[in-house]
Amino acid sequence: MLDRPPLPSALQSVPLVRINGLNKWFGAVHVLKNIDLTLRPGARVVVCGPSGSGKSTLIRCINGLERFQKGTIEFEGRSLGKSDRDAAMARRLTGMVFQSFNLFPHLTVLANCTLALRRVLLKSAHEADEIAMRHLTAVHIPEKARAYPAELSGGQQQRAAIARALCLDPRIMLFDEPTSALDPEMIKEVLHVMIALAKTGVTMVCVTHEMGFAREVADEIVFMDQGRIVEHASSSDFFSRAAHPRARLFLDTILSH
Amino acid sequence: MGFNFGFALSTIPIIIGAIGTTLLATVLSCLGASVLGFTLEMIRRGGGAPGLAVRFLIDFIRSTPVLAWLYFLYFVMPFYGIRLGAMTVGILGLSLYYSGYLAEVFKAGIDAIPRGQQEAARALSLTRRDTVIFVIAPQMLRNIAAPLGNYLVSILKATPYLAILAVPEMLGRAFDIASETYRYAEPLTVAGVLFLALALIISYGVKRIEKLLLASGRR
Repeated sequence: MLDRPPLPSALQSVPLVRINGLNKWFGAVHVLKNIDLTLRPGARVVVCGPSGSGKSTLIRCINGLERFQKGTIEFEGRSLGKSDRDAAMARRLTGMVFQSFNLFPHLTVLANCTLALRRVLLKSAHEADEIAMRHLTAVHIPEKARAYPAELSGGQQQRAAIARALCLDPRIMLFDEPTSALDPEMIKEVLHVMIALAKTGVTMVCVTHEMGFAREVADEIVFMDQGRIVEHASSSDFFSRAAHPRARLFLDTILSH
Repeated sequence: MGFNFGFALSTIPIIIGAIGTTLLATVLSCLGASVLGFTLEMIRRGGGAPGLAVRFLIDFIRSTPVLAWLYFLYFVMPFYGIRLGAMTVGILGLSLYYSGYLAEVFKAGIDAIPRGQQEAARALSLTRRDTVIFVIAPQMLRNIAAPLGNYLVSILKATPYLAILAVPEMLGRAFDIASETYRYAEPLTVAGVLFLALALIISYGVKRIEKLLLASGRR
C-alpha cells in the first residue's frame, strides 16, 4: 500500500461520489444492474471483471458520457440526474483517460493539453502553456510538447492523454482500460505514471486487468460480472479471500500467468 | 475558314477582361456553397424535424438541374416580388446547388473521424460549438481536401451557366465576340484555354493545401 498525505477529517466523511441503484440498458440489454458504490475523497478504486461485465459503462456513467435510466449519482451531495447540465457538471469534476488515448491528431501535444484550459477555464495562452508543461513534465514527456501525437509511441500518447486530463485539475480521475492497447514495455511506463499520480492523493477509479497495479495502488477493488458488482472489498481482502466464486475464478486465471 | 491566330490573339484581352467576373462568381459561390453546405450538414446531424427537412432539401437540390435553379431564381422569383441582380442570382444559384453536394462531402469527412474524438472533447467539457471549431472541422478538412478541391473546380466550370442571365463572364464574352464576327473557333478556344489554366491553378493550390494539412499531425 502506498503512503499518501492524510485528508482533512471533514472531507473524509463526505463521499465524493455516491451511486445508488444505478441501472442502464443498451436497448434490450441490461448492462448495469442495481449498482451501489460510494467513492470517498482520495479513494483509489480498481474496477475489474470479465469483458462485457459493464466496467467501462459504469465509469462512463460517472462522467456523463453515458446516460442511465434508473438510479442516482451524486457528486458531493449534488444529484446528477439525467439532464445535459448535470452531465456537464460531472465532466467538469472528472478527468477521463481512454483506452485508445483519443488525442486530437491535428494538434501538438501541448495544444491538446491547452485547448480546454483556454476554451473552458479561459486561461491566457501563457498561463495555459505553463500549466500544461507542468503536467507534461510530471508524466516525463516535456520534450514532446511540440510533437504531434502520431510522432509519439503508444505509451507516450497515453501519458500525454493523462497530462491533458490532469490540466483541468479534476476531482476524480477515471481510467478506462488505459493500458489495454499498449505493448508490454509501454504498459510499464504508463503504470509508473499512474502510481506516481496515486501518491499525490487524487481520487482514482481505474478499470484495468493489471492486477499487479491493483495490488500496489488500489485500496478498494470492485469486481463486476454481468452488470453487477459481485465483490467490493479492500485490496488486501480481495486478493487473499475473495468470496464470490466468479471473482475467485477470475483471480486464479489472471494470477496464474 | 481556318483558325486565325492573329484574330485569336486579339480576342484574348477582351475575354481576359471578363476573368474578374468569372473569378468573383467562383470565389463567392465556393464560399457560399461551403458555408451553406456545412450549415446544412450540421442541421442534418442535429436530427429531429429540422434534420429530416434538411435531408429532403439536400436530396431535392441534388436531383434538380442547376439551370432550373438559375431560371427559377431569375425569372420566377420576381413574380413574388423578389427581384435580384443577375450576378447575385448566379452566385446564389450556384451556392445553393453546390451546397447540396458539399453537404455530402462534409458528411463523409465527419463520419471518418473516430467517435473517440467527440468523446474526448466532451470529457474535456468543450462546448458543442468549440468541439466543431477546434476538433471536428480541422480533421474534417483534412479528410475532404481532395473531394472539396474537385468541387471548387466544378464550380469554376459551372460559372458559364451565368451567361444565360447575361452575366459578362469569360465564356459569355467569348460567345458575344463569336456572334458579332461569326468566328467561333478562336474566341471559344481562347475561353477554353483560360478556363483550363484557371482550373489547373486551383487544382495545384488545393494539392498544396492538402499536403500542408496532411503534414501537420499524421494519424
